[in-house]
Formats: sequence, C-alpha cells, structure tokens
Amino acid sequence: MNTYNMVKQRFIKKWINTLHMLDSSIEHPLNVTERKNAIRLSSDLAIAAARSGSTVWSRALISRSGNKTTNKPMARRILKKARNRMKNRCRTLRRNGNFTAKVGVRKRTEFLKSLVPGGELIDDKDYLIRETLDYIVYLRAQVDVMRTVAAVDLVTGNVTNDRRNK
Amino acid sequence: MDLTQGFGARSGVVGPVTGLESLNFSDEFRHLVATMPPENTGGSFTALLEMPVTQAMELLHFTDSSSSQARTVTGDIAPTTLHPFGALTFPSNSLLLDRAARFSVIATEQNGNISGETANSLQSNSGANLDRVKAEPAETDSMVENQNQNYSSGKRKEREKKVKSSTKKTKSSVESDKLPYVHVRARRGQATDNHSLAERARREKINARMKLLQELVPGCDKIQGTALVLDEIINHVQSLQRQVEMLSMRLAAVNPRVDFNLDSILASENGSLMDGSFNGESYHQLQQWPFDGYHQPEWGREEDHHQANFSMGSATLHPNQVKMEL
Repeated sequence: MNTYNMVKQRFIKKWINTLHMLDSSIEHPLNVTERKNAIRLSSDLAIAAARSGSTVWSRALISRSGNKTTNKPMARRILKKARNRMKNRCRTLRRNGNFTAKVGVRKRTEFLKSLVPGGELIDDKDYLIRETLDYIVYLRAQVDVMRTVAAVDLVTGNVTNDRRNK
Repeated sequence: MDLTQGFGARSGVVGPVTGLESLNFSDEFRHLVATMPPENTGGSFTALLEMPVTQAMELLHFTDSSSSQARTVTGDIAPTTLHPFGALTFPSNSLLLDRAARFSVIATEQNGNISGETANSLQSNSGANLDRVKAEPAETDSMVENQNQNYSSGKRKEREKKVKSSTKKTKSSVESDKLPYVHVRARRGQATDNHSLAERARREKINARMKLLQELVPGCDKIQGTALVLDEIINHVQSLQRQVEMLSMRLAAVNPRVDFNLDSILASENGSLMDGSFNGESYHQLQQWPFDGYHQPEWGREEDHHQANFSMGSATLHPNQVKMEL
C-alpha cells in the first residue's frame, strides 16, 4: 500500500549514491550554476535508477545524463547495461508513416514527446501516455524529496516552518 | 441557563427575533427550564436535542397552545417571544436534514453511477480543478480500486482519488461525455489542501482516461478530448520539471559542495519526509538503509561538514535559468 513511499525511499537511496559518485569525480571549486547542474543531474539519474525497469523514459534519462558527465567510468557504473538495452529498443520501434490526427492533438503530442525523456522515440500514443504517467510519478517523488531536503536549514539543523505547514 | 443560551443562539439565525433581554419568561417557561436535566450543557441545540422527548413535545405543544396566552400576558412582545421557541425545533431538524441530504446525495451519486465518466470532463484546466473538486473523507470505493489496479504501469501511486462513476459503463457514451463536475474523495489521512486536490483530480482523470484509451480501437486520436488530456499532462510534467530545476538551484545555493549531507539530513527527517499522505507510518523503515555497496556511508564526516557549511543567504532564482531547460 505504500507504493509511493517506496518510490521515494528508492529515490533517496539512489540519490545519495549518485551524489557521492558525482562529487568524487568533479573538480572543485564550482560556481552555483555548475553545482545546480550537478545536483540536477544526480537527481535525474537517481529517479531513473530507482525506476530501472522497462520504461523508455528511465533509460533515455540515463543515456541523456550519461552524455552530460565527462567522467566515463562513473557513467558506465551507473548505466550498467541500461544504455545498451535502450539503444536496441530504439531500433525496433517502427515509424508510423500515415499519422492523421487533429492538429491540436498532433502538436500536443509532439510537445509532450519533447518533454518526456525518450518520448520522441515512441510512436504509439497510448504508450506515450503510459510512459508519461509513470514518469510523472517519479518526478513527483523527486520534487517531494528535494523539497524536504531544501527545507532543512543546514546550519542550525532546524526545519523551517513552511514545510511543516504543507 | 441553557434555554436562554439557546434563545440567544437561535436569535441570530432565525431572523426577526427580539433580543434576550426583551423576553419575558412566563411561568410556563420557567417551569420548563426547571425541569430540564441539569447536565445539559453547551450550546443551543445540544441542549434542546438532549431534552427528553416528553419535554420536547411539551415545547411544541407549548408553542402551539400558549401563543394566545403569551399575547395576553406579555403584550406586544408576545408574538416575537415565541418565535425563537417555535423556530427552535425546526432549525435543529433542518441541520440534521442538511447533513442527511448531503449524505444521501452523495450516496445516490455513488450508487447511481453518473454516466459520463468523469475522466472525460476534460474542459477543466488546472486552475478550474480547484473549483470543481469536492473532497470528503470516505471509505474506499472497491469498484474504483479494481479499475485502478488494472493499469498496466506497475508503479502507481496508492493515494488515488475515488471517482464516483464507473468507467466500464462509459464505453457507449464516451464521445459525448463532458461532465462539468468531478467528485473526488480523499482517503482518510490524506492531505486535502487545494494543491493536492487539484493534482489528485488531475491524476484521477488521467488514469481513467488511460483506461478508456486501452479499451478503444486504435483510432483514438480522433476523440475530441484527447487534446485537453494532453494539455493537462503537459502542464503537470512541465510544472514538475520546473520545480526540480528550482529546487536543485536552491540546494546548490545553500550547499557549498555538491554532496551535502543527504543521509544525515534524511535520517533526522524520517517521519516528516514520509509524511506526504501517509502520516509517517513507514518512517521506521528508513532507519536501516541497506546501501547498495557503491559507497559506504561515513557518518563521521557529518560533523566536519556541519561546521564547514555556511549559509549563502537566500537563493535567488533567475528566470532565465528556469527557462533554460524548457
């Protein structure tokens, strides 16, 4: 019954790992933007690793994040075999030639594909929506955990009031 | 006295009622007051409702029979003094009636299965959801539970909203469904603030829509509402991604190094982190984290980092950085 909590727990575990790995491979000092990118990267990798299933978005996210990091051994460690599996799957997706749809739907699906990692590789709209919903669950877990962490005052160790009142 | 309190409370509601001080208690009033059980405390209606039936009936009869008497006794105040008395019984009933009506309406809606499966009420945007969503704590609807479990995606959040209509019946009327209302119910202990409600409404609609998509022939792109469903999905994904961006910026601004003390922070925030909708019921599970072997947690580092960290001040989010990822 605690599926969402389990999602969050898995994300937390993975995030701790990715943060440590990223920190060991990145040279200091960094400015705010680079730190932000590193945190975002580690967080994205964490949700993708937490999913680590048969979803296109998780594999696409790992692959996309792997390209951003310069450290190849670490990327390989995180990706394991996920990246290869995704490449194989891409080739098997056939292109649907005649796609007649209403303009609004067409534009929106294109935009949605650009939002969801790996969405542009999906042709079946039904599957695209399924992928999107799964991705939303993990995105939400990511936001919840990060919001909790951000609310903690690291200097004093006190939790700010805005989080308590959520 | 309780009856006086009752009069005072009702006078505000009934309307054209004179003030307390203008009430002249006749002998019959005082008799009733004296016979009321002394343990009746509290406000207006509770006192009345707790009165024994006989006394309540006395009140009723008293108002009917003695109206003329009161007129003779108390002159001009007579008709108005009895208004609170006579009206006292009815509002108490009307309160109960209100609640019963509400429950019955909900019950009929639940049983009657509003046609037009609510997922097809695709006209609402994210803002409009707040107006249309009604949330009440209720038991879980087993019917909706089943349809939720039928979803193919393995990772579904458990705190689904319970839509009152069935999706199975809507196959015939799917194209014409534009329900203006979405009745949703929150499970016990769930957050019912507007944000969660709107998101839950959105998720529930999307889930139901997904079910429909599965049932239909693969010509589903012709359906009127698909664009609006996609709109909602797009908005949700975009907002979540923006939040992630902002939160990572905030974390980066506060921490001078990348690997901040995530483990120690979360160890101290177990109960509240898992609060969400499940009131920290699994927080004790967080105490033992079996790390995957990638990295051994160094708990001793924590103190050093605490001294090294200093606040960078409030994080200022630049809008261009927010748009960067979009």
